[in-house]
Amino acid sequence: MSGEASSMSAPRGWIQRSAGMWLGTLPLMIFVALLLYLSIASANFLTLSTLDLILRQAIPTVIVCLGLSVVVMAGGDDVVSGGIDLSVPATAVLAAAIIADQISLHETALAIALLLAMAGALAVGIVNAFLVVWVGMTPLLATLATSVAVVGIVKVITASRRINVDHAAIVWLRDGVFAGVSVGVLITFVLFIFYFWTVHRTRWGMNLQAVGGSRDAAEVSGISPKRYISQSFLVAAFAGGLAAMFILARGSGFTPGTEENLLLEMVLATFLGAAFSPRRVVTLWGAVLGAVLVSALSLGFKSIGVNVFWTGCIKGALILVVVASASLSGRVRS
Amino acid sequence: MSVRIARNVAVLAATMAVSMAVMSSSWAADLSLSGKKIGVAVVGTQHFWDREAFNGALDRVKELGGEVVPVDGGRDNQVHADNHDILLNNKVDAVISILGDGAVEPKFEALRAAGIPVFTVDHLSPHGINNTTSDNYYMGTTIGRYMADAIGGKGKVAIFNAFEGALRICGIRAGLWKYVMQDYPGIEIMQPELAEEFANAPEDARKKTLDLLNQNPKGTIDAIHVGCWDQPAIGIVQALEEAGRTEIKVTALDGGPETLEIMAEENSPFVANVAQQPRKIGSTAATNVARHFAGETLLPQTFVDVKPVNGPEEAKAVYKELGYGELD
Repeated sequence: MSGEASSMSAPRGWIQRSAGMWLGTLPLMIFVALLLYLSIASANFLTLSTLDLILRQAIPTVIVCLGLSVVVMAGGDDVVSGGIDLSVPATAVLAAAIIADQISLHETALAIALLLAMAGALAVGIVNAFLVVWVGMTPLLATLATSVAVVGIVKVITASRRINVDHAAIVWLRDGVFAGVSVGVLITFVLFIFYFWTVHRTRWGMNLQAVGGSRDAAEVSGISPKRYISQSFLVAAFAGGLAAMFILARGSGFTPGTEENLLLEMVLATFLGAAFSPRRVVTLWGAVLGAVLVSALSLGFKSIGVNVFWTGCIKGALILVVVASASLSGRVRS
Repeated sequence: MSVRIARNVAVLAATMAVSMAVMSSSWAADLSLSGKKIGVAVVGTQHFWDREAFNGALDRVKELGGEVVPVDGGRDNQVHADNHDILLNNKVDAVISILGDGAVEPKFEALRAAGIPVFTVDHLSPHGINNTTSDNYYMGTTIGRYMADAIGGKGKVAIFNAFEGALRICGIRAGLWKYVMQDYPGIEIMQPELAEEFANAPEDARKKTLDLLNQNPKGTIDAIHVGCWDQPAIGIVQALEEAGRTEIKVTALDGGPETLEIMAEENSPFVANVAQQPRKIGSTAATNVARHFAGETLLPQTFVDVKPVNGPEEAKAVYKELGYGELD
């Protein structure tokens, strides 16, 4: 009996697996097909200068995605009860506001402005950690609340006004080129390597992932989930602080209202990235790939002159297809 | 003798008139953007003004035979600035850039360095060839006079003024409004000034007005002015109606159909405005691109007429005149 059953299920399992695998590569195939289409439709889409532009425009999103990914990896990827930090973009904008306000309006030295900004960013991380780990709020609600509060603080600091920044270091981040590549892109790549190494090659990173995999199992093996989850919020806030410099470089100063678009792109890129990973989990490289692909899509649509009233719709539909095919393939395989 | 001089002058004048007519008609005939790729960047398309200026530019470029590369910043000034990099990368022949704050300046500089002329709309830039805009000087002083008249030349006025320091057009409009206020010693501008948000302006202004009304009981505010545009005025009027404080007068600038409709309502607190012609502004900018390519030297700024609107009757008349329809 049992022999029969196993021989019956073997082909079905095989079909299921291969269907799952096929569906699993669908998200990536859709993107590849789209990029191919864009490169045919727009003559200079497939050029190094376009690639450089795509990467440059993705920088702030990539950096905040690194922060969010670490929180998701530590808290588990259930969107409601797992780890999530919606306050990273607001934190980044807070740090950007502090830097802009200090160096442009108070003539503070850049180094001191940076320290103040990072202190501000980390303070947000500490509040998040406190709310989630000690008060026991769900991360989604807690970080949404801190995000709103932080945007409020930004408005107080800047009075909702634009602050121009023309500091040489910021201009260098915007325009600098090293060995043919934008310095912003190079620095972001180094940051990615640093985050990747910390999460995948250090004991701390292994423990963090263990906590995200199963809190109970981690606790049994002597790892304190509270410690790692709270630290993940600090790491995310740190990413927010780092992103601030690039936000200022991108806008040649502080412009109110940047956090909304950044929040949308961060969440989109991070969870889109999960669709590319074989196990459908949030990963650092997936999030970065997601951010770069979202940037490539935006740029591609704009390059081929798509009616602006349709771009949002097309982008949204594509992302839905990608995420839906990812969860379908996951269901088929299980 | 004098008859001969008079005749010569007449002949000369007639010749000049004819040759000018011929020249201008030949300009009109020669204007073309055929074979040219024109990037049109707009900061957002949610608001009537932005959308109209954008569509005006798009339609005119197409009418002149050009190809359009449209990009929309989604009401985010950083995205708007980034879009100029995309146009540069696309090697367009010229860029029409509508609105935007200081974030676009380095992008204009890069475009100019690449030999791509930039034509701005409502954004005066040292890197642009020409800026097409309304007569902001006239707008600022006129709305100042109208507002002062509406409150009898004295009282306390709150101003929404987030962009005076960030956008030159707003600096002109709000600055000249304040210049007019200097001649009304009985009018006090309340401090601190209010700062409206760029995105979601009506809802943001509604909340801020409700706060303002809470802090300042009846009889302590006479008017609320919006320094540079009128999207916040939609929310301000709503807040005044909610709080039953419609004795407070509202003034603002832009005069799109939705705000003219509010002005035309009976006993509307929204008493004065200066209406612009955004579609005409956008299309004029596109025409200017063609004039530039035809070898014409453009002045730094092209001004498009505005329509002052004082009271509900004028609101109805301007609404009709600008082709938005009929209001009863």
